[in-house]
Amino acid sequence: MVAFEVPEIDYTRYTNRQLAAIPLAILAIALIIIGGWYAVTGAPVNPGLDFTGGAELRVAVDAPDGQAREQIQQAFDPAPETIRSVPNDNTYILTFQTESVGVSSLEEQARAAGFEVESSYTVSASFGSRTQLLALGGVAFAFLGMSALVFLMFRTFVPSVAVVLSAFSDIVVPVALMNLLGIQLTLGTVAALLMLIGYSVDSDILLNNHILRRSGGFYESTHRAMRTGVTMTLTSLAAMVVMTLVATLFGIQLLAAIGTVLVFGLTTDLVNTYMLNLSLLRWYKYEGVSN
Amino acid sequence: MGTVRDNWRIFVLIFVLLASLFALFSPTMAQEGTDTPGLASSGPTNLEYGLQLSGGTRIRAPLVGVTADSVEFGGDGAPAIEQNVANQLDNVTVADVIVRPQTQTSGTVEVTTDGVTPDELGTALDRAGYSYGSTRDGVTEATRTQAIDILSSKINEAGLSGGTVQQIQTPTGENYILIEVPNEDRQSVVDLVNERGNVRVDVYYPSGGDYQQDTVLEQDDFQSIGNARQGGDGQLPNVPVVVREDVAPQYQQRMVETGIADQGGSRCRYQSSPDETDPCLLLIVDGNVVNAFGMSPDLAASMRSGEWAQDPRFILQTTNFSEAREVAINLRAGALPAALDIGPDGDGTSSYIAPSQGAEFRVDSLLTGIIAVLAVAGVVFLRYGEVEVALPMIVTALSEVVILLGFAAGIGYPLDLSVIAGFIAVIGTGVDDLIIIADEVMAQGDVNSRRVFQSRFRKAFWVIGAAAATTIIAMSPLAVLSLGDLQGFAIFTILGVIVGVLLTRPAYGDILRALLTR
Repeated sequence: MVAFEVPEIDYTRYTNRQLAAIPLAILAIALIIIGGWYAVTGAPVNPGLDFTGGAELRVAVDAPDGQAREQIQQAFDPAPETIRSVPNDNTYILTFQTESVGVSSLEEQARAAGFEVESSYTVSASFGSRTQLLALGGVAFAFLGMSALVFLMFRTFVPSVAVVLSAFSDIVVPVALMNLLGIQLTLGTVAALLMLIGYSVDSDILLNNHILRRSGGFYESTHRAMRTGVTMTLTSLAAMVVMTLVATLFGIQLLAAIGTVLVFGLTTDLVNTYMLNLSLLRWYKYEGVSN
Repeated sequence: MGTVRDNWRIFVLIFVLLASLFALFSPTMAQEGTDTPGLASSGPTNLEYGLQLSGGTRIRAPLVGVTADSVEFGGDGAPAIEQNVANQLDNVTVADVIVRPQTQTSGTVEVTTDGVTPDELGTALDRAGYSYGSTRDGVTEATRTQAIDILSSKINEAGLSGGTVQQIQTPTGENYILIEVPNEDRQSVVDLVNERGNVRVDVYYPSGGDYQQDTVLEQDDFQSIGNARQGGDGQLPNVPVVVREDVAPQYQQRMVETGIADQGGSRCRYQSSPDETDPCLLLIVDGNVVNAFGMSPDLAASMRSGEWAQDPRFILQTTNFSEAREVAINLRAGALPAALDIGPDGDGTSSYIAPSQGAEFRVDSLLTGIIAVLAVAGVVFLRYGEVEVALPMIVTALSEVVILLGFAAGIGYPLDLSVIAGFIAVIGTGVDDLIIIADEVMAQGDVNSRRVFQSRFRKAFWVIGAAAATTIIAMSPLAVLSLGDLQGFAIFTILGVIVGVLLTRPAYGDILRALLTR
């Protein structure tokens, strides 16, 4: 059987500044994107249906793709905001950001046009804004709770900050990517962001634990932590890439959304853990400790 | 010798696995008279599927209304207060005002029509001369409970099996009614629950050159309500009812007075010529006249003689069978104290999944999960190259999912897409932790003694415990916040982490030791 090995990186060739520069630059760019988004659109991310209110219909249309889209455009008043086709079969997911027309009448319009309504979903605007508040509160609570726990576990400032900072970046970078790729914030993506807090901290804790609490030299500990940590992240990454692809093919939006955000986050985590967190730890180990 | 004592973790795991398999597959464990949403166990397992995976409708909405607390009644009775408050508000009838005494002299006043603000209620109370503590949006707990009872019985009466109605409260204090009905399309559920279901019978009779309309029978005046009948033989579809004995004589007298029970009965032409018809009885549902009918000569005669009140049977005629059914449902279930705030400018959410779509999701999400597991297995095999390490890893991670599935089947938790996502997350974190154990245990040369193994295992466990704690903290908001569909995801991720740390991951350590220290 072919076993792959996590390659050993010669960290001595790079200074702490060089190492930290890349992840910090990525983080800065992500923050600029989110800030810019906020300045232009009034929200740091594109809130989806769950938060803005609106309606979503999933309809089966018995026609080839181009024709089907045309039929859909004609069938509805108001016209759907977005039309997405599900690769696996001839169904389309339509969203309507409208308050004036109820989902009942949209269902009727769909049936009148000869489409089969496979699912419908509607959220009122006021319910959506309340959900948004809850979701923000949830993410904030999860992040603060995680931070408190990390400080309790390590009881030293720099290593704890390293973990919290890289977890922060693990959330912020996917959010910026979502903006760039036009992925909306939904309940599924919120769940994925929360999941990231849990997942991303794993490899950071592992690294800190190996370097701070074990005997052995810095680089030896680092390499051992990397062997385990990179394997962990790669397995999760493999599972999530596959889940995203399959779920997209089947049109299971919740799973696809969770998968996409986790893929972004886990990839970011590889960079953050082994460049940002590592450089902070090395600085702490060699220069930060006065004794 | 001592195998059981040394490997007790493995034996506990096997025992729990067997128990889970039993819960999953044993026909004796099948839930009967299921009151959870979703289909009862279908297929070979005892698993129940939620609406996303079985199809159906879910509606989540608050009740319409405003409430004033600590209203001083000043000696007035509830009916008088309801009348006085209704008079002060536009478009509000007595039926929309609910007074609930809490002490002898004070209580709450609710107005359950759309468009009345708390301020307007306050002003109305001031004008009517009642002092009050405060006014707010929303209705009282008593009204919500009553609404839930009525909605449940409406759904049962309509024959929608497996439907549930419950109350949920958000951490910010809003109350929502959650209705889930499997296999039923959105519109018919909305129609059913949207109707206040206020049924009454009015008499419409000529009086001084004009026509007058008075209510003669209300919901409470019926002693029993029969099943809706098709009619036939010249008879319209109808609902047979029995009027309460204490109301019957009064009703009978009104019939005679108003001329409905005239000699030879009455012929109603309310629909065609309302200005010159005989007196009519009007069947009114939610303010709309559903049907108008006169009285047969026989019935009229028995009313005139007073015999009818001895045996106060009566039929409510409708124009078609579905109306008859609706009337029967509404009469039996009672009228909703307040309407649900759904509709285009409402305050809720609703979703509908076609049963065929649900079934498709069920298969597709299962496939997605299996493929994700295969991907994980692939990476693990590639990384370790040793079947002895990798295979138990996959088996252990899968056993976590089996235990969670058994748990779901055991407590009848309906599986939804979010729960499936939780399972995939559990496999992810599970395998991560097993990798930590494997790497730690096999680090730096062979594991030749049990002592070395134990100490390395313990070190690995510190990281696992720390990671588990952060995952639980990160997921806990989702588990308690009613962010709708994600509760299942959070609950099963947290459960998976707990099962993993307490049960499966220690057992994997034992398995690895048995394989490595031979």
